[in-house]
Amino acid sequence: MTHATTLPLSVDDARRLVAAELSSRARIGHVAGLLVAIAMTIVTASLCLTEPDIPARTRWAFAVMAGIGTAWSVYFTWVLAKKRILLTGHRILAGRMATAFSSLFTAAALALAILDPARRDMGLLAGALGLVMVAAAVAILFRAHGKHQELLRLRALLLEKAELA
Amino acid sequence: METPMQRTDTDANGSPALELLAVRCQLGEADAFDELVRRWHPPLTVFVRRLAQDDDAAQEILQEGWLRIVRGIAGLREPKSLVSWMFRIVRWTAMDRLREAYSRGASVPVAEELLKAEDDPSDFGEAEEILHHALVEMSLADREVLTLFYLEELSLREVGEILEIPVGTVKSRLFRARRALAVALEEKGLKP
Repeated sequence: MTHATTLPLSVDDARRLVAAELSSRARIGHVAGLLVAIAMTIVTASLCLTEPDIPARTRWAFAVMAGIGTAWSVYFTWVLAKKRILLTGHRILAGRMATAFSSLFTAAALALAILDPARRDMGLLAGALGLVMVAAAVAILFRAHGKHQELLRLRALLLEKAELA
Repeated sequence: METPMQRTDTDANGSPALELLAVRCQLGEADAFDELVRRWHPPLTVFVRRLAQDDDAAQEILQEGWLRIVRGIAGLREPKSLVSWMFRIVRWTAMDRLREAYSRGASVPVAEELLKAEDDPSDFGEAEEILHHALVEMSLADREVLTLFYLEELSLREVGEILEIPVGTVKSRLFRARRALAVALEEKGLKP
């Protein structure tokens, strides 16, 4: 029998639950995981599609790894969409991480294409997909900044109303 | 010990203070979330206790409810509707948990300890004791509309937003629930 004054969930427990749910580390970790998974998918898919004269089993191995990378990408995306929701500050940080990472990745892929003729096709394909990543990352960053600025303006307006009241 | 909510103007849906709190949460301010929980956990607990079957169910509903609130607040398009939105989230969570009871409109007895626990039992007069017993026997739908309107002191519009029904339907449900409560009280020898 439950004691009459026992609370199902105390205020302090609720505060701790919320604070844990807001952990930035978990969110940034999942963003980093998503970026690595996408990069892995692009690299292995590019190798699978462009590498000449490799045994069939090696090509299949690259294809399987690309599938694994895709599955991880889907998983991290799902977690970020449903569980570790990104608030505007998180989205700006995630956008910056994505822009930096995908820019480096694209630069490396294109450099490979230029410096290693044997890997030219792979480098160009990976570089092209990398550019798509860069475009998506920049779009996310711009949108996050826009939303953040909108909220900051609204906050300033409401603070002013509160002071006048 | 929790007490039913003491509503002030700053708590009303649409008030600048409430909208500011919602915006600060959307900006990710940790202090804002802390303030949100401190202010709204007690009234949400009162509401959940009217719906839940026991302490374990109430705890699960509140935990899941707060997680859904934190995860969903970034997508709240009307920050001024924070109150009705939070109650709606918690209600959905309770509905998921008690789906069967809601769908058959059955009277779901609430553990009486839950109804009494937010008040000091030593303050209970006989009338209040009978009132609590009467609420226990009412249907879930009647209990929730009475709780939201009278105990949480929400407006008809806010109750409508939480229950996702028009204001006219809120009024008719309140009328029906008050009548059911009056009958229940009379049966227990207490004039409404």
